[in-house]
Amino acid sequence: MNFEKLMFAVFAVMLTIGIGSATAADKLRIGVEGAYPPFSWKEADGTLRGFDIDIAMMLCASMGVECELIEQDWDGIIPALLNKRYDAIIASMSITDERKKRVDFTNKYYNTPAIFVAPEDSGIEISASGLAGKRIGVQRATIHQCWVEKAYPDAELVLYGTQEEVFQDLAAGRIDAQLSDSVQSLEGLLNTDAGKGFAFVGEAQEDLECFGEGAGIAVRKGNPELVQSFNNAIQAIRADGSYQKLSDKYFGTDIY
Amino acid sequence: MEALFEYRQSLIDGTIVTIQLALASVVLAILFGLLGAWAKLSRNRIAQKSADLYTTLIRGAPDLVLMLLFFYGGQKLIIDLGDWSGLWGYVEIHQFTAGAVTIGIIFGAYMTETFRGAILAVPRGQIEAGMAYGMFKLQIFTRIIWPQMVQYALPGFTNNWLVLIKSTALVSVIGLQDVVYNAFVAGRSVRQLFTFMFAVLVIYLILTAISDMGLRWLDRKYSAGVRRA
Repeated sequence: MNFEKLMFAVFAVMLTIGIGSATAADKLRIGVEGAYPPFSWKEADGTLRGFDIDIAMMLCASMGVECELIEQDWDGIIPALLNKRYDAIIASMSITDERKKRVDFTNKYYNTPAIFVAPEDSGIEISASGLAGKRIGVQRATIHQCWVEKAYPDAELVLYGTQEEVFQDLAAGRIDAQLSDSVQSLEGLLNTDAGKGFAFVGEAQEDLECFGEGAGIAVRKGNPELVQSFNNAIQAIRADGSYQKLSDKYFGTDIY
Repeated sequence: MEALFEYRQSLIDGTIVTIQLALASVVLAILFGLLGAWAKLSRNRIAQKSADLYTTLIRGAPDLVLMLLFFYGGQKLIIDLGDWSGLWGYVEIHQFTAGAVTIGIIFGAYMTETFRGAILAVPRGQIEAGMAYGMFKLQIFTRIIWPQMVQYALPGFTNNWLVLIKSTALVSVIGLQDVVYNAFVAGRSVRQLFTFMFAVLVIYLILTAISDMGLRWLDRKYSAGVRRA
């Protein structure tokens, strides 16, 4: 087979594998998840909704670029970014050192704090001595386990496979308090019927080592201009108050 | 249950993708399987060895790993090749094509063994008789081997097909919106994952029940002239 024939064969194959050949990067393509309410979910008619989605559109408007949202399963969300299926991920991705080895992050665009939840009338005090000997539930292998072990070593740690089980055991009275993401606690427990009689206790827990900086936008390495324009856009929507309005609509508070 | 009704279109669309994917993959799997069986039975040592390598490698690795490897690895290879040669910029492997080809390659390895066994079950003397009549190889295959091997291959083929239908669920990992993917997204969106997973179970049961009926009909057709003990 001579060279032309070979090239022809290669091109024929390329064509038959159905090329979406979006060579020109005229649109900014953004990967989103669509299965993590209230940050992103899918309506019955197929439209994507949620805080992440609205933030993405808002940032694009602020940057003055046209954006296209591309839905992607969470398990493949970083590989698809590396394979150039899209140029950025806006999917509530926490900025962690592990992920920083493969992608670059913008500054955080939100950071929902971890807050303890306990029965309203428990009078439990969130301090190293106040929690000593108390049974504290957390989901295992999370930033929350990391923090309870670090800050409240005398508490009796009770570990669960899912956050749902933590809520159930708290409602059943098997643990004295639990620590999890505050938005998740609101959505999963406090705003539901099962959450009656329970409330947040203590301050928002903060620790850079355990909790990281919050959720950021991931982009492929070696794109400092894109990171910079996202950072500028985040600053801009903070400065003009549109971020706060959006956050208030979803969570009743500013989650930056 | 209301949520199921609300998201019915998404479930139906997903089911259609699942069926299309299963059919496309099984056609490819049959092609790869016949090719593999031919290579394994041929006297050409290179063909034999490569077919051995193919079935050993594919049957020895988890489907999910192969799926990720082919899809992301293949995509990366094509992009890197484009960057290196400067011939093309960004290209995207169509997800459906990638899914069908990957499942086809995986199940082609299982089909290879099924077909090989079935071809060996055809009495050697009949093939020799065909050669004695001066038939071409293709004629021997279509007139003597194929009609008889189908009957021997059907039980194994049925097994492979049923497993294949369920393996299509793997494609949700690469973002193809099959029934499992759509059910997951909908279930998590309305926080009723269990309801939607149950619906998926029922959908797969219906699909396998229908194919079971079809394959039984094929079995009867190809066993005409064979007495059932």
